[in-house]
Amino acid sequence: MNRLVLLVALPLLAAFLLPVIHRVSAFAGRWVGPLTLVYTAALGMFFWSQLGDGAVAIDLGGFRPPLGISLYADQLAVLFAIAVTLGTLLLWPGLGADSVRRSTLALILAASGSGLALSGDLFNIYVFYELLAVVSYGLIAASGTAHAHAATLRYLIISAFGAALALTGIALVYQATGTLNLAQLAQLAPQKLDNLQGLAAFVLLLIGFGVKAELFPVNTWVPEVYATAPKRVSGLLAGVVSKLALLVIVRLLVLIFHQPEALHIMLVLGILGVLSGELAAWRARDLNRMLAYSSIGQLGIMFIAFAIPGAAGVYAGLAVALHHLIVKPALFLLAERWGGSLDALAGAARVSPLGAALFTLLSLSIIGVPPLPGFWAKLLVLMQLAEQDSGLYLLGALAIAAGAALEVNYLFRVAALLYQRPAGRPLPALSHHSADIVVASLLGTALVTGTFVITPLGAHLQQIASQAVDSGRYVQVVNPGEPR
Amino acid sequence: MHTALILYTGAFGLIVIGIAGIVLSTHLIRILFGVALLEAGTNLLLLLATWQDGAAAPIIVAGRVPVLMADPVPQALVLTAIVIGVGVLALALSLALRVQRAYGTLDIRAVRQRMEQAIAAEAGVELPSSHDAPVAVGPVTAGREGQS
Repeated sequence: MNRLVLLVALPLLAAFLLPVIHRVSAFAGRWVGPLTLVYTAALGMFFWSQLGDGAVAIDLGGFRPPLGISLYADQLAVLFAIAVTLGTLLLWPGLGADSVRRSTLALILAASGSGLALSGDLFNIYVFYELLAVVSYGLIAASGTAHAHAATLRYLIISAFGAALALTGIALVYQATGTLNLAQLAQLAPQKLDNLQGLAAFVLLLIGFGVKAELFPVNTWVPEVYATAPKRVSGLLAGVVSKLALLVIVRLLVLIFHQPEALHIMLVLGILGVLSGELAAWRARDLNRMLAYSSIGQLGIMFIAFAIPGAAGVYAGLAVALHHLIVKPALFLLAERWGGSLDALAGAARVSPLGAALFTLLSLSIIGVPPLPGFWAKLLVLMQLAEQDSGLYLLGALAIAAGAALEVNYLFRVAALLYQRPAGRPLPALSHHSADIVVASLLGTALVTGTFVITPLGAHLQQIASQAVDSGRYVQVVNPGEPR
Repeated sequence: MHTALILYTGAFGLIVIGIAGIVLSTHLIRILFGVALLEAGTNLLLLLATWQDGAAAPIIVAGRVPVLMADPVPQALVLTAIVIGVGVLALALSLALRVQRAYGTLDIRAVRQRMEQAIAAEAGVELPSSHDAPVAVGPVTAGREGQS
């Protein structure tokens, strides 16, 4: 069972060996990264099948908590560890010239992402989060243009600001409880953190980790970074990395911070995110920034969903998150060649019929047209919101509905442009690279497959969610001797 | 008691100064100084979380256990945080150098404007008019403003 550690350790090892291997043999250097990720993804899936509905805690180096650092693997954590490994593999940024550096960064991204999903210790989470941040700076700046450097620098400043706030939150938590192990925090939280200090710590952690999850006030980096970074990197950041940050926030909410105010703060920020993101996307004139703003809106929906108390909220939020995890990277892959002005896309369906069909399919799912999975995910959120008796949750439902109306408007505008008659000039520049279109088709196929197995998929997600909110079991698994 | 008060005031003071520096400054180097101050304040706060006056280092020499030992956990954490902070700051400075060479300015507003224009030009769209971006200022003028 300890082989799960390899999900973090192997990509790290490969990343540090890669420059040496590349010097010996360029051919081996090109294949080491993807093959490592194939192996770790297979390992993760094997572990997933072994896990069933159980959960495992791993004490690193054999040291028991509170002395040691523990990893905690339930279905939710393993699911996201597999998602980040597979996502990095599918959106492999190390193609083309100067591939060694970008391959190294991509491998570290996979390692730190898996670590973030599996970690059961608050400070360890902070370290993996910072590692993920530093790696993403490198990947964004890899475009090498001056505006990519400027965008990276602005992102770095916001991110460092957020990380320092998160660390302040961690200091407040440690000051109140004297531990950073999530299981012990779950035990101590009802007495020690159910007060103003606990709420302040949560807000600091929320804003800190919210930087990567595109939370409303700290998401100004999103449009400029997604517009300047290589599109595969944008897809990775918007699709996978943002969900990992969200997963950390959900874990903290479920295990430690039980104040209703915490949920309300997240709900309000989510509503503001949906409205501001969708409005900006509606105003956007180029595809890159439209996708970037729409991703802020989608992340806002997830924050609203996770603000619903109990397993119902985690279930609904998870459904939206997994849907977005598949759809957004595919859209960014299509934007690789279509990233410019929307008007220039007129008639692009002639050049790339498959790309246009995929774009339409993915847009329909994002908007939430039945029977695509996006519809079921949004319906789930709206139904759970309607069951809450607070007016604030109703406001959340209204915001999501308004956002969907805007999405219909701007995404259909693009789809209509794609199928327009071209203005009499050839459009060879709009055809896609085969690697991009193959991966986008794969993700599109996954989406369509999801449509057919939506009922068992929903049941499974519900089971994962009800496990994830069981904080008593988390404590039991990490410290078998402790009372629940 | 007084020592603790002074230390806590120092930690929160550094945090406030750091945040103010990040939010209020327009010069990139000053903003990065703000980040460094914020991190210093946070690290101090983390150390203070379990700080006790007069506690000895948690090292057992020749079997003699000190009466009052400092908690080693925050010290290990702060060590990690300092290392991460230094690395990120170095990366930020090298990026700032690249930006300065390309745009000829370190004024965050001018840099942002130049960047937005470059992104819009690359995408082939006009920059959407915004009330905080002056309409008539071209890229050359913005660069000169920042240098003077």
